[in-house]
Amino acid sequence: MSEKKTTHFGYQTVDAEEKQGKVAEVFHSVAAKYDVMNDLMSFGVHRLWKRFTMEFTGARKGDHVLDIAGGTGDLTMKFSDLVGPEGKVVLADINDSMLKVGRDRLLDKGYSGNIECVQANAECLPFNDNSFDVVTMAFGLRNVTDKDQALREFNRVLKPGGRLLVLEFSKTNNPLLKKAYDLYSFTALPFMGKLITNDADSYRYLAESIRMHPGQDELKTMFEQAGFANCEYHNLTGGIVALHKGIKP
Amino acid sequence: MDQTLVQGALASAQSIVNKALSYDAATAQKLSALAPKVLAIEITQPAFVIYVQFGEQLRFMAHHEGETQAKLQGDLQAFINLASHKDKHAALMKSDIQIQGSSQLAMGLADAMSDLDIDFEAMISELTGPVVAHVVGKNLRRLGGWLKGTSEKLKQDSVEYVRDELQLAPHKLEGETRFNQIHKLKLDTDRLEARINRLATQLNKPKSL
Repeated sequence: MSEKKTTHFGYQTVDAEEKQGKVAEVFHSVAAKYDVMNDLMSFGVHRLWKRFTMEFTGARKGDHVLDIAGGTGDLTMKFSDLVGPEGKVVLADINDSMLKVGRDRLLDKGYSGNIECVQANAECLPFNDNSFDVVTMAFGLRNVTDKDQALREFNRVLKPGGRLLVLEFSKTNNPLLKKAYDLYSFTALPFMGKLITNDADSYRYLAESIRMHPGQDELKTMFEQAGFANCEYHNLTGGIVALHKGIKP
Repeated sequence: MDQTLVQGALASAQSIVNKALSYDAATAQKLSALAPKVLAIEITQPAFVIYVQFGEQLRFMAHHEGETQAKLQGDLQAFINLASHKDKHAALMKSDIQIQGSSQLAMGLADAMSDLDIDFEAMISELTGPVVAHVVGKNLRRLGGWLKGTSEKLKQDSVEYVRDELQLAPHKLEGETRFNQIHKLKLDTDRLEARINRLATQLNKPKSL
């Protein structure tokens, strides 16, 4: 009898097939209040992390960009301005609740024309090979079941010379910051989640999934194994978040 | 410095500058004509670089992946001095700031900033309505005029006090006359030195048989 493949869902070990559904439940639950919670949890600093990410995209007029796990479209809006009407931005998310919130938000803010919304799984992207100049994933990779497969898919859909940028929670080496961060994420986050979205478990999962996510160097190695060149990472806020960059050769 | 802090500072500066430019349509139009060029401002002391991308809105960046069309390089003091001059084009030419790449872009920016005229009254009227904004604007202009006049008068009075009452400094005309005399004396001594040298050369020359 063959053994079932397992993976992490926060601190729990679950069947690999089960994780996708569990993550979906988390995001269905928080989608409506996702932006409010992001601002509250990070004190608005997530906007600065995303701003930093945009500086490394090198996106210009006419580029085709994939914002995978784009959620409520923060990066998509910035890309839409940068690539102009000649370019195209695909806002993709596996979760239809998040995608609906993102699409409505974009329309409410007057963004249309060069944006497409696509429900897509990062592990099997419904796009042709070599079709994007830039692929970004902000705070999404830790929720993916098979991260290596997702990275290979990003490599496949990128044009040669195209760049992948992954913004994700990471590991801090500062012991004081680590202590404060642990205290904050395991006590304050679930409390805020309970208060705002009436769902403490989803935010407990958030804290746990961050701890289970690969560290900076490990993720950089995964980038290289997926076929990316010139891989590098930049720590933000003492390493709480890191931006990884890779170029498709 | 952690990039989060840098991004926070840049985001705030970008927001303030773009908000201010929205009240000066002419300057905003001149700057947007420079799109999509990127200017690097490299401050040597303290060391940091800011990239400015031109467009309908200015974009301030700490990192830029791509070409920059021009670079201004100098210490912070030189940039502060430049900002304080009304005619930034002339000030940029005379300053210690080095221009690399397209000087047209740097001069275009200097020209646009020289004509900067932010409509503060419009800014206030968004918060208070036009009537209050007009009254506030009128009084602010009056206060500004008074401050400018008073500072000029204070400067003039201080100069006169030091020169006429304390007699610590000469009048400008006296100074110029004295400098002319010194200059004339210098020329005379130079000529005298030249004549002495010529005589010395003649005396030292061996007599021909």
